Amino acid sequence: MSFISSQDRRTLITVFITLLIICEMVAYVANTPRPREQFFQVYVLGARRMAADYYPNNDTNLGLGEPVTWYLGVTDNMGSVQLVSIRVKIGNQTIKPPDDQQAIESPAPVVTEYMRVLQDNETSEMPLVWSISDAISVNGSTRILVLQFNNETYRLQDCSASGGHNFRLIFELWTLQADTDTFQFGWVAGGEHRVAWLQVWFNMTAPRLA
Amino acid sequence: MLRNFDYLNESKLRRTQTRLAIAAAIVIAAVALVPFVAISQTVTMIEPGFGPALVAVHQAESVGATPNEIASLVALLNKALELNEDALKLNGPGEAQNRIELISQVDQTLITVQGQATDLTALASHRSYTNKVLNYVWGIIAAVVGTVLFAFTVSFYRNYRIKRTFQMRITRK
Repeated sequence: MSFISSQDRRTLITVFITLLIICEMVAYVANTPRPREQFFQVYVLGARRMAADYYPNNDTNLGLGEPVTWYLGVTDNMGSVQLVSIRVKIGNQTIKPPDDQQAIESPAPVVTEYMRVLQDNETSEMPLVWSISDAISVNGSTRILVLQFNNETYRLQDCSASGGHNFRLIFELWTLQADTDTFQFGWVAGGEHRVAWLQVWFNMTAPRLA
Repeated sequence: MLRNFDYLNESKLRRTQTRLAIAAAIVIAAVALVPFVAISQTVTMIEPGFGPALVAVHQAESVGATPNEIASLVALLNKALELNEDALKLNGPGEAQNRIELISQVDQTLITVQGQATDLTALASHRSYTNKVLNYVWGIIAAVVGTVLFAFTVSFYRNYRIKRTFQMRITRK
């Protein structure tokens, strides 16, 4: 003698199989990591940690020894730990900026670089206090000789711009390719080579006379 | 004869002037277009162990190590970077010994990272596998519980209907 009729048994088996399929599908979705976009974020903020007031008194004409305070930040959204390097380059109006399409770095000379290992979703922000310690005027062209970044001195040679106008600091994001142990400009995500860079313009119109 | 000679001289002079003008234009253009030549500073060199250490950390992450577990490895990697930068600043002749010591500390830190990352990979891999199996087992348990609930609900509903049927009154219209 059975407590359940054969029709009820069939119904229960159907319900069980249906619930099993639904619950296992939910378990599969929970176990499978969702694909996400991989990217980095690079930013430079002004002295008040905002995208404003980049220069003292909002005057892009800098004087000798005039300190400029910025905040340089980078966020890792690659889904993994990354060793990043922000290379700071100095250029003028005519030097080529980095090429986004071809993922080619700027030929401008590197002044300094800041390296950091970042976790996924981690942001590293550091103050960047810099000034032009020495610059001279030669035949209408201003040549920056010494730059200071966070109390470190960097000497430059023939870093000049006509009339001292349109110098720029270029910030390029480089990442360490773990498998080859070499740095690359930008990063590779989804088979595509992507880059991130910034530039901030300034003038040096009050150099000392040579 | 004299005229011919003068003509040749003028012609030569013009050619020379043209060549000089072209050369001057090229020089001016070159100077105007590329007035920026600066000596590049050397890019910081890092120890070759950073790549393999990062690969080991990536493996730990890929098998499900938690951000808290990874944070300690990242802290060690950043410490190694700082030591590396300090070592590169020691360029003086009397600082060679200190530099060697710092670089050996960098290597040691990177070896530690690799070792910890390998241990973490084994631990996280085992934990992820267990969690995965548990998730599927929970799916089966949920299906069983759901079926039992369904059976009770149907049974309760039937009993209710039977009870209601016996409680009905038959009235003549």
